[in-house]
Amino acid sequence: MTGVDGDRAADRGGRGDHGDRLARLREGVESHALTALAVITSAALVVAFYYPTATVLVEAVVVDGAVTLGVFADVLTDPFYFGELARLLSGESPAAVARSLLSPDRRLGIVGFTAYQAVLSTIASVALGLPAAYLLARFEFPGRKTLRSLTIVPFVLPSIMVAVGFVATFGDNGTLNAALTAFGLPRVDLLFTLEAVVIAHAFYNAPLVARVTTAAWESVDASAVETARSLGAGPVRAFVDVVAPQVYPAVLTGAALTFVFTFGTFPIVLALGGFQLATVEVFVYRLVRDLSYAEAAALAIVELVISLGVLLAYLRYEARNSTSTRGARPLPRRSLVPPAPTLRELLPRAGLAAYVAVAGVVFLAPIASMILASVTGGDGALTLDHYRFLVERQQTGAAFQVRPWPAIRNSLLFATGATLLALPMGVVVAVLTTRRYRGRTLVDAAAMAPLAVSGIIVGLGLLRGLVFGVEIAGWRIAASGAVAVVVAHAVSGYPFVVRTVSPGLAGLDRSLVESARALGASRARVIRDVELPLVWPAVVAGAAFAFAISIGEFTSTVVLATGADAYTMPVAIERFIGRRLGPATAMGVVLLVVTGLSFVVIERLGGEHRGL
Amino acid sequence: MTTDESETRRRRARPRTRRRFLTAAGTAGAVALAGCSAERTGDGDDGGDGSGSDGDGTGDGNDTDDGDGEGDGGDDETPTLTVATYTSFIDAPSVSPGEWLKEEFESRYDAELEWATPDNEVNYYVERAASGAGIDADLYVGLTTEDLVRVDEQLDEDLFAEAGDIEGRDAVKEGLRFDPFDRAVPYDTGYVSLVYDGTTMEAPETFDGLLDDEHAGALIAQNPGASSTGRAFLLHTVSRFGDGGVASDGDGEAIEGEDGDPDYDYLDYWADLQENDVRVLGSWDDAYAAWSEGEAPIVVSYSTDQVFADMEGQDLDKHQIRFLNDQAYANPEGMAVFADAAEPDLARQFMSFMLEPDVQGQIAQRNVAFPATGGAELPSDYAELAQEPADPVTFTYDELQGSVDAWVEAWERQFAEN
Repeated sequence: MTGVDGDRAADRGGRGDHGDRLARLREGVESHALTALAVITSAALVVAFYYPTATVLVEAVVVDGAVTLGVFADVLTDPFYFGELARLLSGESPAAVARSLLSPDRRLGIVGFTAYQAVLSTIASVALGLPAAYLLARFEFPGRKTLRSLTIVPFVLPSIMVAVGFVATFGDNGTLNAALTAFGLPRVDLLFTLEAVVIAHAFYNAPLVARVTTAAWESVDASAVETARSLGAGPVRAFVDVVAPQVYPAVLTGAALTFVFTFGTFPIVLALGGFQLATVEVFVYRLVRDLSYAEAAALAIVELVISLGVLLAYLRYEARNSTSTRGARPLPRRSLVPPAPTLRELLPRAGLAAYVAVAGVVFLAPIASMILASVTGGDGALTLDHYRFLVERQQTGAAFQVRPWPAIRNSLLFATGATLLALPMGVVVAVLTTRRYRGRTLVDAAAMAPLAVSGIIVGLGLLRGLVFGVEIAGWRIAASGAVAVVVAHAVSGYPFVVRTVSPGLAGLDRSLVESARALGASRARVIRDVELPLVWPAVVAGAAFAFAISIGEFTSTVVLATGADAYTMPVAIERFIGRRLGPATAMGVVLLVVTGLSFVVIERLGGEHRGL
Repeated sequence: MTTDESETRRRRARPRTRRRFLTAAGTAGAVALAGCSAERTGDGDDGGDGSGSDGDGTGDGNDTDDGDGEGDGGDDETPTLTVATYTSFIDAPSVSPGEWLKEEFESRYDAELEWATPDNEVNYYVERAASGAGIDADLYVGLTTEDLVRVDEQLDEDLFAEAGDIEGRDAVKEGLRFDPFDRAVPYDTGYVSLVYDGTTMEAPETFDGLLDDEHAGALIAQNPGASSTGRAFLLHTVSRFGDGGVASDGDGEAIEGEDGDPDYDYLDYWADLQENDVRVLGSWDDAYAAWSEGEAPIVVSYSTDQVFADMEGQDLDKHQIRFLNDQAYANPEGMAVFADAAEPDLARQFMSFMLEPDVQGQIAQRNVAFPATGGAELPSDYAELAQEPADPVTFTYDELQGSVDAWVEAWERQFAEN
């Protein structure tokens, strides 16, 4: 594996005895570090993503050994998938199709509906994520840093946990209805509707929007705002002209990622909505399960094209709208207690108070319900039985059964390894994609593809490409187990590092880099000593995301962890689901606590802000 | 837990799935570093099979850890039987038969039993066979009729071998034998029925009763494309109302419903059910969790629900079973030897072990199901909580073949109209 060379090179750099040789070596390593990292990144992508995924997607066009576009044509012209659009694709006149589209009984098709609910979910996630970013980036209060670290906890929760929390919160007999009844308000019938699904998507993705936006907001240079103010701009004008241009690329990042995730949504839609709201991924899953690979692959390619299209559109926007910054000194935070009882001080704080109430219902109540479920017995009384089950399973579980401690340990090990791998991968791709050159769009698309491909397809691909291996010149090369899991997780997580880091990098004042280069610093050195410190909050956020993605990853883990020794916490949760939800929710709370602590540690290790 | 630790180390040093290849191909040239492995694939002189990648075609099957230079047929070594199954068969939070079966089998036979539970279940082995990676297990436990139909449609070559001479096989109940090609031998069966909360309502006794206004929004079912209870319930409606020729391919052949009305098929019934606000959630977990929280009083589940409820000291009134029209869809589970098994004889010994009266009783109790043989040893009160319908319904292999996909797809297209 290529990774070995890189490690060895780093070793040599660190171990040299003779000053001269050491300096020369370091120089050599530094000047090639970027290239080496780019090679390692490409290798990891090819081995743990491109090749495996290709083994499955190719089935859309190669059926029984013959190349065909028939499967595609069938999918594209099927009104079940494409609604009225399918008629256009099958050659009907655009005018007739447009008329049907305007009529009330138009058909969106599964693909259209999937996009529709993804748009709604994105709007809800941005609406719920932005106020959180405002609160976290602009105000000072006790526990702020911890709260910021914990924002992405919802991101790692397995869907069954979220379903349990949501049913207990928003269900007929849920907390919300109990509260409404107590206040004499009408009850709401939220479950098994599109609204419930959209709120659940916001539960997962608003934290993403909030975290990315907070990182960008914290990187806004205070002196730029002060300059604007000193030039006579009012606070609103200064915000619109200086702060907003630097923050809203991040908001768009969050929105684009949310769209892509909710477009590929799967278990949560059926758990909280029901089959009448089935999305494309539901069909991909069923088709793969029934071994109808051609149609599954065709649908997955449709998903890929749409998701990637959205990501690329956003990237074009990001490239055109990057603003120059020398971000070094963050804006001073305000106190939550208004300094003066003026309307201008009170209004934003009152708005935040209202937001906190809503966030309490959407984010905290489901998590609280989950925790409550873990300490509630079959008779409704409080009990620690479910935690006792975990301890018992740990002590007496058979060797081939999943036990809690190894699951915790593996989760932490894999996530740490994946983060350490995803960070350099993400940074190098961010550096490469913020330069301007022909074909950059292609590199962008290639780098972001892991976000856009159906998880089910990637899982099947990993099975074929890695676990079963490839035959090369009479040898079968295969990979599975811990190392493969870490690489696969890093590949899933690194796009987040790219997306959090690259807007900041693109916005950096080029003259900083150029003067450092002129002073003789290698490119790698400039990245390490100049550029990264300037976008440090984004690097830390990216690391947290990479960690979260690894912790939450299910499919690639179960595929690659052959044998019983490499399972993780989500696998344990899935295994402990039974007729009673107690044991699984107890394990879910363990996951919650362990990842929460990890996020706090990551952000503490990352520090608040490095600056120059 | 020391044995477990050493087991773990052993696996790390040389992945289990690869051991046999390594032994057979010789350790020369084999690399097993940090989860990566490389091994010579067949070049024509290491065994008879055409796929060429199956190094253990010679069938010695001795997978020792220091397997260098060992001759064939080393009888001094304890053979290992690898049994593939679904995860809840060996690892469920309540009870599962895996651990008992392993201990009991190892004490009765001079063999070691290893469980394998790939995430994709049988599909995993279909994939292995299709990619020429070789099958690394001896038999599969947990096959359904549909699994066999799917496997046979997908693969040209046989994944499973004929059961052949299995002691005790004659005791398997006639109605459960679901494999026309005699590969899968049933070891237990279960029934998918309705479970309802008797403290809040009385469930209807017929399919038609579910359409009554008073039961609007009362039923939670599961996605037949992903959940086996959901699929069983769908199949039950096909059997009840007929398929209206959905899967006929134009040859006019259709499943006739028991309702005797040729103009009303399962899709019509589902349209009415959807009209009456049925919920179709993704998985049994989703559905049962929502039902437990009181979102609806009736859920599609198993007829053994009271066994669990009793185990957990719950109110049995809240866990009532209803067999619609006195029927329930039966899902017999079978076991079959892989055609490529390294230990085919031992695998067949395991199959007859599974059919012994005391083992049958244990499987039924620990898998919370019903025995497949007549003479299973069960506690006399087992039938009080584990209920069986007067009239079990199930489709045969031939009926499912070429039809089940079409039935599910037609249902999907009707139910998820967007």
